[in-house]
Order: sequence, then structure tokens, then C-alpha cells
Amino acid sequence: MAFENFSSFLNMGGYGLYVWLSFGASALSLLVLWLDSFFSKRTLLTQVLKEQARQARIKAAAEQNSNGETI
Amino acid sequence: MWKWLHPYAKTERTYYLCQSLLPWFSVLGLAVILFASFWGLAFAPADYQQSEAYRIIYVHVPVAVLSKSLYMGMAVAALIGLVWQVKTCFMAMIALAPIGAMVTFVSLFTGAAWGKPMWGTWWEWDARLTSQLILLFLFLGVISLYKAFEDKQQAGKAAGVMAVVGVINLPIIHYSVEWWNTLHQGATILKLGKPSMPPEMLWPLLLSIVGWALVCGAIFLLRMQNEILQREVRRPWVVALANQSSVSSEGK
Repeated sequence: MAFENFSSFLNMGGYGLYVWLSFGASALSLLVLWLDSFFSKRTLLTQVLKEQARQARIKAAAEQNSNGETI
Repeated sequence: MWKWLHPYAKTERTYYLCQSLLPWFSVLGLAVILFASFWGLAFAPADYQQSEAYRIIYVHVPVAVLSKSLYMGMAVAALIGLVWQVKTCFMAMIALAPIGAMVTFVSLFTGAAWGKPMWGTWWEWDARLTSQLILLFLFLGVISLYKAFEDKQQAGKAAGVMAVVGVINLPIIHYSVEWWNTLHQGATILKLGKPSMPPEMLWPLLLSIVGWALVCGAIFLLRMQNEILQREVRRPWVVALANQSSVSSEGK
């Protein structure tokens, strides 16, 4: 351990602001991109389901239409 | 015939390959980053000149190294895509671009936070800093050029040309500390002969480079999957996959 206690660890020899700012900003940026990638995957999968439902509706409507015409 | 069959067979396999690699990269990458950062922050000895402020190196150097390698990876993917017309390569290119932009931004940000106490300024229009800023603009340029086209094949070609041309910036970044008088220090690890760092400082640094690379790999795998899903919305295997995942998330 390079530090004697926790407060000197936080203080970083007077450079605490800069060190923790760097690490904080890096962690935040990494997390934001990671979560964005993760949630857009979910959104895409729900879009696929919506598209599928839409195609099914179009197909059903077309079938109903053609039935109506024959009767 | 082969060229016609190739892309149809490939995206599905690529998707599942990404899926199987994803947990390894995510868990291992996160663990290594946390371990190496903790080692670097709390256990590595203080620097004789910069005392504790030098600990910024444990995030600054990994992201700076990765910003260049990610650009190189993106440009290679773009070149293969342009020459052999492989659409998966353009997907890889555009999956890498936001990661590279993020990593370049972090390298500039941590560099500023390191420059303030050591050089007395957040920013200086110096060769290394300026060329790294241009790298960020190149990444952002590739992303926005790709988004500007409705037709994704054309978008891939346009952005691909830009990515390949931008490679000229990489040697400029690397040698900027030698070619010009600059505030930025010279290379520490990547130089001929022995690295100018004692092993108890060097090991956590090398580990955090590995950790960041793994996590960037994990994000790349996720974004690659997203690109595949986006292009293959109506393929039966994608529809089956979406149905399956909605069933499993309802069960939770």
C-alpha cells in the first residue's frame, strides 16, 4: 500500500482533484457507451417484433380483402 | 455463386460468434480494469518527480494506445470492405468508430486533467495534443458521414474512404513528440530497448491496457450485433431470435 490511510489515498498528495476527475470521467464515458450499446440491442429486438406484427397485419388484411371480393 | 451465398451465411454466424465471446470479454475486461486501476491507484509507488499525480497514467496511456489501435482496426476493416466488397467489414468499421471516439475523448480529457497540475494549463496547441484532437474529429467524421447516407452500402464506402485516408494521422501522432518541440513527454513503453519504468509501475499499466482492450472488445461485439440486427430486420433467424428474447425477458 502506497498510502498510510484512506484520507491520504483520497487526497493523492494534493492532486486528488485531477486524479479522481480523470478516473471518474473515464469510468463515466465507458459506462455511457456500454449502456448505450446494450440498450440499443434491446430496442432493435423489439423493433424486429413490431415489424413482424406489422407484416402479419398487412397479410391478414390482404387475405380478408380477397375473401370479401370472392363472396 | 460463392460471393452471392457468402453474406447470407455469414451474418447469422457472426452474430452468434459475437454472442458466445461477449460474456468472456465483458467479465474478464471489467475485472482486469478494476484490478489494474486499484493496483495503480493504491499500490504502485509514487513517482519521484510528479508524486501521486502520475497515477493518471493508468487510465491515460491505455486509452491513448487504444485510440490509435482502434483507428487502425477501423481503417483495415474499411479497406477490406472497399477492396473486396464485404459488407460485414463496413459493419465492423462503423461498430468500432464510436468506441474509438469515446477512447480518444477520454485520452484528451485525462490528458487535460494531467496537464493542468504538471504543465500549468488544461490545453495547449501543441503537436501531440492537436494531432490527437484531429483523431477525434476523424472518428466523428466517419460516424457522421456514415449516418448521412440512407443506403448503408454507399454509406460504408464513403465513410470507408475517409477512414483509410485518415490513417496518415497515425504516424503523425506517434512521432509528434520527436518531430516537434512539445510539452508532451516522449514514449515510455513503446520504444527500442528497455521501457523507462520500474516493473512495479509497469505491470499495472500493462494490465490496464489489456483490461481496456478487452472492454472495448466487449462493446465492439455488442455494437457489431446491433449492426447485424439493424440490417437483417426481416430475416427469419432474426425474427426467431427476437421472439425468443421477448419470451425470456417476460419470464423474468
